[in-house]
Amino acid sequence: MRPRFLLGAALVAVPLLLALCGPLLAGPAGPRAVSFTPGQGHWLGTDFTGRDVWRQVLLGGRPVVLVALAATALTYAVALPVGLAAALTRRTWLEEVLMRPLDVLIAVPSLVLVLVCAAALSPGPVGLSALVALVAVPDAARTVHAGAVEVAARPAVEAMRMSGESSARIALGYTARSLRRTLAADAGTRLVGALYLVSTAAFLGVGVQPDASDWAVMVDRNRPGLDLQPLAVLVPAALIAALATGTNLLLDAALHRGGRGARR
Amino acid sequence: MTRPLAELDRLTVAVAGRRLVDGVSLRVHPGRVTALVGASGSGKTTTALALLGEYPDGAEVTGRVVAPAVGYVPQHPAAALNPARRVGALLHDIARLRGHGTAEVHRALHRARLDDPAQVLRRFPHQLSGGQQQRVVLAQALLLGAPVVVVDEPTTGQDPLTKRGMVEELSALARQGTGILLLSHDPDVVRELADDVVELRDGRVVASGPAERLPAGPGGDRTATGGPARTAAGPRLLSVRALDASHPGGARALHGVDLEVRRGECLALLGRSGSGKTTLGRCLAGLHSHYRGTVTLDGRPLARSLRDRSRAELAAVQYVFQDAPASFDHHRPVAEQVARAAARLHGTAPREAAATARRLLADVGLPAALTARRPDALSGGELQRAALARALAGGPRLLVCDEITSGLDAATRSAVLDLLAARRERTGLAVLLITHDQDAARTLADRTAVLDRGRITPQDGPRPGDHRAAAPRGGDGERRDDRT
Repeated sequence: MRPRFLLGAALVAVPLLLALCGPLLAGPAGPRAVSFTPGQGHWLGTDFTGRDVWRQVLLGGRPVVLVALAATALTYAVALPVGLAAALTRRTWLEEVLMRPLDVLIAVPSLVLVLVCAAALSPGPVGLSALVALVAVPDAARTVHAGAVEVAARPAVEAMRMSGESSARIALGYTARSLRRTLAADAGTRLVGALYLVSTAAFLGVGVQPDASDWAVMVDRNRPGLDLQPLAVLVPAALIAALATGTNLLLDAALHRGGRGARR
Repeated sequence: MTRPLAELDRLTVAVAGRRLVDGVSLRVHPGRVTALVGASGSGKTTTALALLGEYPDGAEVTGRVVAPAVGYVPQHPAAALNPARRVGALLHDIARLRGHGTAEVHRALHRARLDDPAQVLRRFPHQLSGGQQQRVVLAQALLLGAPVVVVDEPTTGQDPLTKRGMVEELSALARQGTGILLLSHDPDVVRELADDVVELRDGRVVASGPAERLPAGPGGDRTATGGPARTAAGPRLLSVRALDASHPGGARALHGVDLEVRRGECLALLGRSGSGKTTLGRCLAGLHSHYRGTVTLDGRPLARSLRDRSRAELAAVQYVFQDAPASFDHHRPVAEQVARAAARLHGTAPREAAATARRLLADVGLPAALTARRPDALSGGELQRAALARALAGGPRLLVCDEITSGLDAATRSAVLDLLAARRERTGLAVLLITHDQDAARTLADRTAVLDRGRITPQDGPRPGDHRAAAPRGGDGERRDDRT
C-alpha cells in the first residue's frame, strides 16, 4: 500500500506541477529553429513549427489539467445536490423529474456530444469545462443517487428526522458524509474520464487553435515527425498518462487506508 | 429400548491440549428427544457437531462416533439459507438430489409444520419470520431423509408464542420417528420435550438419564409476580381508529386496529414476531405512512409522515428504535447527537442543550466521558440507553419504545424501566411499550394489548401478569407473517 501511495503521488506530482507552475517558468519564446530537430540547444528538440518542445511542455499542461479538474468539480457541484435531493425526497414525482432527464442524456455518446457542441459553439476553456461536466453529470448523479437511497433508508436518518434535524444537515452532514468513499472512488474515474475527453477533443482539434500550446495538441501535431523527433510526442503523451494513472493509484491507496480504519 | 440411531462413545475433542469435550457418551433413539443441556461454553455444540463429523480446526479426536445422515438446524437459521434464492428453489434442489419431486417437498414442509406451503415456497428467506426460517431449515433436513436432527437452541430469543409452536413442532417430529438431539439451556423447553437428558459441564457429562429422574434442570421454577398495578386514568392522549397499514409491496400488516392511550399511562403491546407491533409503532411515530385510518393526539389528527409534523408535534411523539446502534450517526459523538435533538425540538440554545443532554445521559447511567465518544465506542446496550435519552430530550408526551429492553442485562434493564416509571410520574409521559419481554410489560405497564397477525385482541383485557394475555390462540402457527 505504501509503495502504491508513493508511486501514485510521484506520478501525479510531475504533470500537476508542470501544469500549474510550468507557464511561470517558461520564459519568453526563443527564435524558431528548424522543425523536428533533436538537440541543438533545445534539450527536448523542436516541434513541427520549430518551437522549443520543453517550453511547449511547460505551457501546454495548464489547459488540459485545469479544464479536467474544473469539469470534475463542476460535475459534482451539480450531481451531488441533484442525486441527494432525488434520493432524500419522498415525492416520487420530484425524483422522476430530477433523474429521468439525466437518463436521456446518458444515452447520447459523450464524445459525439462534445464534438458537435464544440464545433458548433467553439467554446473557450470555460465552455469546454462545462461541456465535459455536462457529459459526466448523469453518471455521477446516478452514483450519488444509488448510494444515497440506501443511506436514506437507515434508521439513523429516521432518527435525525425524528429529532427535527434540518434537511441540509441530513443530506450533507450525514448522507454525503457516509458516501464519501464511494464518491472519492467515483471522482477518480471521473477525473480520468474528463482528462480523456479533454485530450481527445484537443487531439481532434476541437475547441483549440491548431498550434496551441497544449499537451494533447502537441501529441497530434507532432505525429508526422515521430521518426525524426519522438520526444515531441512521447513527453506530452507520457505526462497525460502519468496524471491519469497516478490519480487512480493515489485514490486507491487512500481508500485502502480509509477502509482499514473505518471498517466495522 | 430400540437400537440407537446415532451414538457417541467416550468422545474426546481437544484443541491445543485443552479438552472441549471430555469422554462424552450419548445416544439418540428413534422417536425420542435427547436433550443436551449445560451452560454456554460447556461443550454442547462441539459435541453435537461431532455427530455431523464436524470438528474445530486442529482438533484431536478420540472415541467412537456412529451416525447416519444427520440434519442440523443451527441457532441462527437465516445463515443456513441462501438469501438470493426463493425457498421453493432451495427445497426443490435438495429434493432433486434425492430424486424426489414436488410432492416430497410439500410433505417435508408439512412435517416441519409449515402451513400454507405455497406461500412459503414463493418467498425469499428474508421474507420469513425467524420461526418460519427455522422450520424451512428443518424441512431441508427432512428432505434429505435424515433420521436424526440436531436442533441448536431453537427457542433462544423467541417470543413465548413462537416458542410454544417450536416445542409442538419438535414433539410432532419425534412422534413421526425422527431422533432429535436438542441443545438448549431453556429449562421449560427441556422439561416439556426431553425424554433423555445429558447435562454437560466443562465438556464432561455430570448427569445423564431419562428426563423424569433428573431435577428440573438449571433455572428452577419461575413464578409470576404480579407487578404494582397502577391506575392512570388521565384524559385520553392518543387514539387510533380503524388503522389499516400495508407494506409498500402491498402486503397487509395491520387490520382495523383500534387503540387508546391515556395521559401518563403505559400500554404494553405484545405479540409474536411478525404480528405488526413494530409497524404500528412506526405508524404512530410517522415513520410508516402507508396506512388508512385516523391517529389523533389530544383530539388533533397527527400527520401521517413525520415530515409534515411541526416541531411541537415531533417532540410530542418520540420513537426509540429497536436497532439502537443503527439509529446513531457513526461520525459524531453520542452526546452531541442527543444535544442536537434537544436543540432542534425545543429550540434550546446549544450550550443549554448540551447540559440537558448530559443530564439525560447521566440519568440513563452513561457517564459524560463515554458519551463524548462516537457510537462505535459504546456497546449495544449503552446505545439503547442513549437512544432513550435522545427520545426524552424533546420532552415527549408519548414515547413509543420498540423492544428497548431486549439487549440489556437484568440490572440495566430494571434501571431503564425505573427511569421510565419516574418520568411517567413526574411529567405525565405516556408510554407504548412494544415488547415480548413479559417481565418488562409486567413491571411497567398498566394495560396490555396483544397483536396477532395484524389484529388487536381485546385491549381492556386482563392485567399484566396474567400469562394468558399473551397467548390468545394457542399455537396455531404463524400463517401470514410479514416483516415487522
